[in-house]
Order: sequence, then C-alpha cells, then structure tokens
Amino acid sequence: MKSLSEQNHYEILETHPEASDQEIERAYRLSLTTYADESLAGYSVFAEGDAAALRERIEAAYRVLSDEQSRSEYDASVGVESNSEVAGPAVALADSSPLPEVAERTPLPINFAELDDGTGGDFDGARLRRYRMRCGLEVEDIAAVTKINTTYLLFIEEERFPDLPAPVYVRGFVGAYASCLGLDSRRVATSYMRRFDARREERRKGRFFESH
Amino acid sequence: MIADSSETSNRAAARLQAEQADRSVRLIPVGGGKGGVGKSFVVANLAASLARAGSRVVAVDGDLEGANLHTCLGVPKPRISLADFVAQREEDLQKLILETPIANLQLIAATDGNLATPQPNHSRRIRFLRSLRNLDADFVFIDLGAGTHAAVMDYFMIGEDGVVVIAPEPTSVENAYSFIRAAFYRRLRLAMVSHDVRKIVTTAMDQRNERGIRTPLDLLREIQSLDSAEGARFVETMRAFRPRLIINGVRTAEEIKLGFSIRSVCRKYFGIDAEYLGYVNNDDAARESVRVRRPLVDLHPQSDAAIYLARIARKLLAGNSATREDSA
Repeated sequence: MKSLSEQNHYEILETHPEASDQEIERAYRLSLTTYADESLAGYSVFAEGDAAALRERIEAAYRVLSDEQSRSEYDASVGVESNSEVAGPAVALADSSPLPEVAERTPLPINFAELDDGTGGDFDGARLRRYRMRCGLEVEDIAAVTKINTTYLLFIEEERFPDLPAPVYVRGFVGAYASCLGLDSRRVATSYMRRFDARREERRKGRFFESH
Repeated sequence: MIADSSETSNRAAARLQAEQADRSVRLIPVGGGKGGVGKSFVVANLAASLARAGSRVVAVDGDLEGANLHTCLGVPKPRISLADFVAQREEDLQKLILETPIANLQLIAATDGNLATPQPNHSRRIRFLRSLRNLDADFVFIDLGAGTHAAVMDYFMIGEDGVVVIAPEPTSVENAYSFIRAAFYRRLRLAMVSHDVRKIVTTAMDQRNERGIRTPLDLLREIQSLDSAEGARFVETMRAFRPRLIINGVRTAEEIKLGFSIRSVCRKYFGIDAEYLGYVNNDDAARESVRVRRPLVDLHPQSDAAIYLARIARKLLAGNSATREDSA
C-alpha cells in the first residue's frame, strides 16, 4: 500500500508499464472523470482541494506517458522494463514519512473487456447497444463519427425495421456503426441484414396472405 | 446499539471465518448500505441464474425489517421465516427452507419479524451464520438490509465475496462508501489482537477522530509505529478484503464507468482493492419482472438486463471453480 505521493505515473493512472497508447489514453480519461470536482464517484469522499491535487498528479503522469520519448525516458529512469513489475517510485516525494516495506499488489489495469457479455450469435440491435455501452460511448458519439442521424442509430439498436430507410442504406449505417466500435463491419452488417431481410420477408408474406 | 467488542464474541467470529475456508458451500452476502438500489432484485436474479445453470442455490432474506426477497422469487407470503429462528422458535435453519417456482432454488424468507427487536443478538448471529454454512447447497446468497448495523456488517463479512449493489446516484454512492468503510474497519478490528491497537481502530472508525486518521493508510502507519506484528496482520486483512461492485440501473455509458471510478476511489482513498463485477442496465423488462413476481432471467432471459445479470452470475461461477481448484 502506497500513499499517493509514493505512486509512480503508472500507478497514478492505474495502468501498467506494458499499456498501449490507447490504454493510457483511456485510463487518463477515466481518471479525469473520476476526479472531476463534481464527480459522482468522488464528491462524498473528497476533502477540499483533494480532487484538484489529484488531477494535477494525473495530468503530470499523462504528460509523461502520452509522449513516446518522454515515456521511454521515464521508464529508463525508474527502471521499468517490459514484463517487469512496477519498480519503486523515483518521483520526488513530497511526503517524507518512512515507507513501510509492504509487498505491493500490482494494480489491475482498467479493462472494459472484463465486462464482455460473452454471448455469441447474431449481431442484433441489442448486441450492438451492449457493445457500444461497453466501449463507453453514447449514441451521440457514434453519430459524431459516422455522421448518421442519432434517430437512425437508435432505430438500428431497437430493430425498428419498418422505420429504417432502404436496405442498402441500412447496410451502410450498420457497417459504419460497427467499425466505429472496432468490430468487423462486414461481418456485423451481414449478420444484421440477415435479420432485417428475414423480417421484411415475413411482412411481405403477411401482406400477401392478407390480400388473398 | 449492540455491544460486540467482547473478547469471546470476537474470537468466535474469527473462528467462524476460519471455518468458512473449509466448506464447499459458497456464501455470497449482498449489501449496499442504501435501500431501494435493487439488492433483492439482483439477489433473486443471480440466484435464479445459477440455479438455472444447474447449481444448487439457497437465497436467504437477511432483511428482517423489510423482507421482500420472497416476492421477487414468486413465493407467496411464507408462514415460516428467519424471524422464527431469531425468536428461538425454531433452532434448525434447514426447517425454514421453502421451495420456489424455480428448480434448484430454495428460499429462507424473513417475513413477520418482531418489530421491537428485529435483529438477532450477537451469539444468535454467530449461530445463524454457522447454520448457513451447513446448508446443503453450492451457493447461499444473503440479501442484506439497508444501513450499517452491526448485524448487517457481520453477515457481510461471512464470505470473502461480499457484493455491494450501487445505483448510479449520489445518495447510493455515498452510502456504499460508508458501507465499505464500515465493513473494512469491522473486519480489521476482529483481526487485531492487541487491546491498544483495537482501540485505535475504534477511534479511526469515527471519521472526525482527533488523531487525524482519515484513511486506512494513516491507520496502518499509526499501528505499525506501535506494533509491527499487528501491522503485518493489518496488511493481510486489507489484502483479503475485496468487495465486489455491481452498478444497478445504468442508463448511459457514463454510468457504466462509475464502477471503475468507484474502484479507483476505493483504492486511492481507502487502499481497498474492490472488484467491478458488472452492471445491469435500466430496463422496462426488469420492472415488469418485479411486477409479475418472477426473476427476470426466468421471465425474459433474452432481455438486456437479464443478459447482464447472467454474465455476472457466470463470473461468480468461474470464481467458484477457481477457488476449488486452489484448495484441491
């Protein structure tokens, strides 16, 4: 167990020395959310000035770790090597109280994958929504990237097929949506369109029988 | 307020914890500090989910003042309940077991508690917890009441796998921290041997204490300066304490991240290593399942919320086989 002043940059961001740039970025953004002044997770615990002090440490850590060169310099200076345990802190310690010799459990990296739903099968609307939420994205985020109207994105998730435009557009929308989540756009679109087409076929047949 | 610091009861509780390790039944207490965050809903669905997957499960309603687990499981108002055990009308917990509409899933209800003295006294609690462990089941869930009453904390400490259910709202998050803190300090006080050290822990439990102990780290330093052996026990206790978080009723991706944020605050502020077990989304299907008194995983297994719940249940099951392999 280490006090904040004893933690190195990786520990401050609650990530690990092998973290990819993307993981560092994600850990940083999560830390900023967590230690924002009005943070839901923190406001009842933070004492005056706590959050600001923490954010300063978080920013300092991110400045170093987000830049390839400064990160490798930092790693060298604290003796961090790939696949090695996090070494002791080399940052200047404001707190000079004697540090107990406590074997530190390496913090678990922040990992959205651990919340994976693990369900296979079709890529239906609900599954797309689950993936989206797992990635920490709102529909608006997807819309900003794909330029697809949020209404259509929601219709896709809710599988309101009759409200969606022609199949060729839907296929394009779903593919763009999927690649935005880092999924294989072709596979997802094919899977989704199978459901879409099947439902359309049912409706067509339904009408056929009604009219005879 | 129940006096619970007597030497004998502390030792009894410690022995109880040791016994736990040898048993194959897994006790999963589910708390959260605040009422109305969906504890009973989560318990009913995790229990039903594991039962559907073939485990033998007993769900115990530990909320003698606000029993409703039986309703979530579709059991009509039961005639026998935990209240009979508390009032010493029934000594055998086994005889309080009720069948539920779901195969492999049984219930011990908590209806008709004595409103004047709903909570069992300390020795009765020890007896209750020991009996739980002797139930013939793979999993025993204990649905805890609100608050941080000594009885609630004792139940929460029974398993290493205590689950904390949190709703994404300030009041629930605040109470969850109080709950985790209370559980941690209580566990710690039981683990400490020396009278002086235990007194310091009691002091630290008061958040406005004069010694300026704000976090477990402050407390650890204080204890280490007094007694290094106790310091080592402290570190051990802290490491073994691993509350597991479930965020219930999320509506946005932002709220899903709350679990990670709370985990971070627990680590940075309390030095407690919590695990984010998963989240359950806010789902109309969930409300419907409560209305028709059937667990969602049974009523609408394909609904979003049911899929999230089943996923959490699978994690519990995976944890179970891992522990067993370890002990083999």
